[in-house]
Amino acid sequence: MTRLTSYLRPGMALPLRVAGSVLVLVGALLPWATFVLNDGPYPAKSTLQFFDAPFEVGGFRLHMALLGLAALVVTFAPVPGRGRILRGLGWGAVLVSAVNVLFIAYNGGGLGAVTVADMPAFGGLVALLGGLAVLAGAYAGGIEQPVHLPTGLNRFVAWAVLLVSFAGLLMMVAWTLTAGGQGGVANPYAGAQFLSFLGFAGGLLAALHGAGVLPWISRLSEDHRPFSIVVLLGCALALPFTGAGTDYWMTVAANIGVYAATAIGLNVVVGLAGMLDIGYVAFLGIGAFVAANLSGAVAAKVDITLPFPVAAVIAAVVAGMFGSVVGSPTLRVRGDYLAIVTLAFGEIFVRSAQNNIGGLTGGPNAIPGVPQVSMFGTGFSEPITLGGTKLPSGVLYYFLTVLLVALVMGMFANLKNSRIGRAWIAIREDEDVAKAMGISTGRIKILAFTVGATTAGLSGAVFAHKLGTVSYESFKFLESVTLISAVILGGMGSIPGAVLGASLLFVLPEKLREFSDYRLLLFGLALVLIMRFRPQGLVPDRHRRAELAGEDIEGRPLEETVSEQAHLPTAAPVLPGEARA
Amino acid sequence: MTTLLQQIANGIVLGAVIGLVALGYTMVYGIIQLINFAHGEVFMVGAYGGLATYTWILPHSMRGHWQITLPASMLGGVVVAVVVAVIMERFAYRPLRNAPRLAPLITALGVSVFLQEAVRLFYPDAKSARPFPAMFVGGGLRLPVPGGQVILPWIRVALVVIAILLAVALQMYVNRSRMGRAMRATAQDRDTARLMGIDPDRVIVLTFVLGAALAGVGGVLYGAYQNTINVDMGFQNGIFAFTAAVLGGIGSLRGAVIGAFAIGLIKTLGGQYLPGGTQYDYVWIFVVLILVLVFRPEGLFGEAEKVRA
Repeated sequence: MTRLTSYLRPGMALPLRVAGSVLVLVGALLPWATFVLNDGPYPAKSTLQFFDAPFEVGGFRLHMALLGLAALVVTFAPVPGRGRILRGLGWGAVLVSAVNVLFIAYNGGGLGAVTVADMPAFGGLVALLGGLAVLAGAYAGGIEQPVHLPTGLNRFVAWAVLLVSFAGLLMMVAWTLTAGGQGGVANPYAGAQFLSFLGFAGGLLAALHGAGVLPWISRLSEDHRPFSIVVLLGCALALPFTGAGTDYWMTVAANIGVYAATAIGLNVVVGLAGMLDIGYVAFLGIGAFVAANLSGAVAAKVDITLPFPVAAVIAAVVAGMFGSVVGSPTLRVRGDYLAIVTLAFGEIFVRSAQNNIGGLTGGPNAIPGVPQVSMFGTGFSEPITLGGTKLPSGVLYYFLTVLLVALVMGMFANLKNSRIGRAWIAIREDEDVAKAMGISTGRIKILAFTVGATTAGLSGAVFAHKLGTVSYESFKFLESVTLISAVILGGMGSIPGAVLGASLLFVLPEKLREFSDYRLLLFGLALVLIMRFRPQGLVPDRHRRAELAGEDIEGRPLEETVSEQAHLPTAAPVLPGEARA
Repeated sequence: MTTLLQQIANGIVLGAVIGLVALGYTMVYGIIQLINFAHGEVFMVGAYGGLATYTWILPHSMRGHWQITLPASMLGGVVVAVVVAVIMERFAYRPLRNAPRLAPLITALGVSVFLQEAVRLFYPDAKSARPFPAMFVGGGLRLPVPGGQVILPWIRVALVVIAILLAVALQMYVNRSRMGRAMRATAQDRDTARLMGIDPDRVIVLTFVLGAALAGVGGVLYGAYQNTINVDMGFQNGIFAFTAAVLGGIGSLRGAVIGAFAIGLIKTLGGQYLPGGTQYDYVWIFVVLILVLVFRPEGLFGEAEKVRA
């Protein structure tokens, strides 16, 4: 990137930005596909639609038009952080146009589909070029220091701001979930539409981040924590009332919730305490098998039926006990050797479960017929009516997983800021120094494993009841890799990061059914690329960013802060972060 | 008695294959302290490279002649494995040379999954196990023992002989040659080695190349004696090999070979005599792995691991 940007001069910024925005806007209104694709008309397609019906541009073309307009406005309006905003918008335009151009070209049999087969259709290429120009313009003008909006607001103003932004977040989540519709044979364009929407949403969020809006909101929500938690929880519970409130999306959302909670648990071990656990999914499995055996399923070995909350607690405790067993080698083993030990434990679990150890796991037959959770006389798979609104089936499981995630997040956030959490971080940074500071590292490390495993066990109980069948197949090594990818993609040590990572990694295969074979291939590639280009993840934890990306907690490069300090001896102290050697 | 001796013979054969892979693990770890998790996948890729050479490159008329098919397939496997390993080193590991230690390990995990899936998706019909041609003379060595005989097919004999020859050759190369000395110097202290005029990047690439070449040979021979290969073979045997390397003391070539024979014997004898039978033979290896890592992480022949920043 540095090599590329070195060709840009500040003088080119304005022309590039203007030309780019205009091209994006024009590209959005031009036709994109030269003919109707094999699977029917491409959504928001193609011909000279704009000139027939100027106000009916929809779908990705609407997104492009919005990005282009926004870029044009930002180019001329005196807003702070202009370069950063344009960088976000430029990336958004590039991603949206690239996804659609590639898909149309792929599905329409080559470049002819986006150029001149039956009729000229250069919309995609023009928009792509425009996006690149905006991006180049953003870099040419220089990327400014991060913007800081004022935070000390009147309480009610802050509350209003938070309310609006969380409502916006809710809409964003609902749109993202439903974007492109349900993947599958009936809807061949779901994957492309979804990716295109992700590109738009990503660009928009990056632009908002550049304008300082997102950091501002997160600062505000930190200042008004109790209020934010209540509103966020309310928003999460309100999801079934939005467009995502169908059986299908509720099931998807509940699955995501289970994995998100598990990923947060893994984040304690990997992100906070800095110990790589590559057999973690075994604890989800232990929780699931315990819950299944206590559920009264026909195949269960144990002949007792316990109510769900009791079974869930037992599952969590058993998994936690196994967690402390697996964690005990940490007393003697460190770093990559520890990772291999966890891998060995994970494999032992899978092999044992596969061979139906003690008759507890059903072996290759799995444990089918785990009954649905039933409380207050309602089965959790039934549709319910709430305040006159009929809610889809599976909504109760969704509520259950929201509570699960909220519980785990709350626990995690409190632990992170507690004495124990600081001890974990200290161990991650330097175990010997931590020990010298009086932390009894052995106990604290085992505790990390125990907490992580307990979380996974609890999620496992929900998993078992929700799925109805528990098989060792769900807990193989590659599932651990998926969870680790989720944590790393989101950002190690970051709570929202783990949720975001888990959501992305479990929604994407749902949407991209036609690419489901390539799921693991892409995960592997993603791990390599993230470690190479963005080791701190999408939503980095503040301290982690200092460590992995060489930036301070405000997002400035460390070298700059150091030289700043040299010039201004009275500057506020900077959090010491270890730059990459 | 016959069963015991037969299982010991089988264990030695398995140990020879594992040893070829373990040498790669131990060399890479010795030089850059990276558990190259994807090394097992290099072994797997080598086996598929050998199969591809046999299927598409060798003329059909040559197929009956083991003197041609076996060396040609091994060469094909080695070339593919080496190319993959060099690309992997250049684009995945080298940029992370100075990153925090978790980063390269996670990358290695990613590379491993990527290679496994890439072969599964893009090699024709690799989604299920592929038959591997017999590339050697049929029949076998029959050793009379009290109460019966132990049968060892010739391909297995050849495998053990080739593996031992290669291990000895590697040992001599590392101990005697100029590049071998550069390797040992880099392993001891990369910065000082650089001051002595050694290019560490070259040495590291050479290490990956040597390891991959051995793994490639191992992959082809494994296919030839198992008569079938699949994309999971790299993961399984990679873990075995890693366990062997750790057991023998990671960083030590001699230790890796001895550890590999020990692992081979544990697997075959454990599958025969320990409770649970062959269904649990993997579990015993993992148990050994955990016990060694916890109680003697420096292995049987290695030096105590230095504490690194």
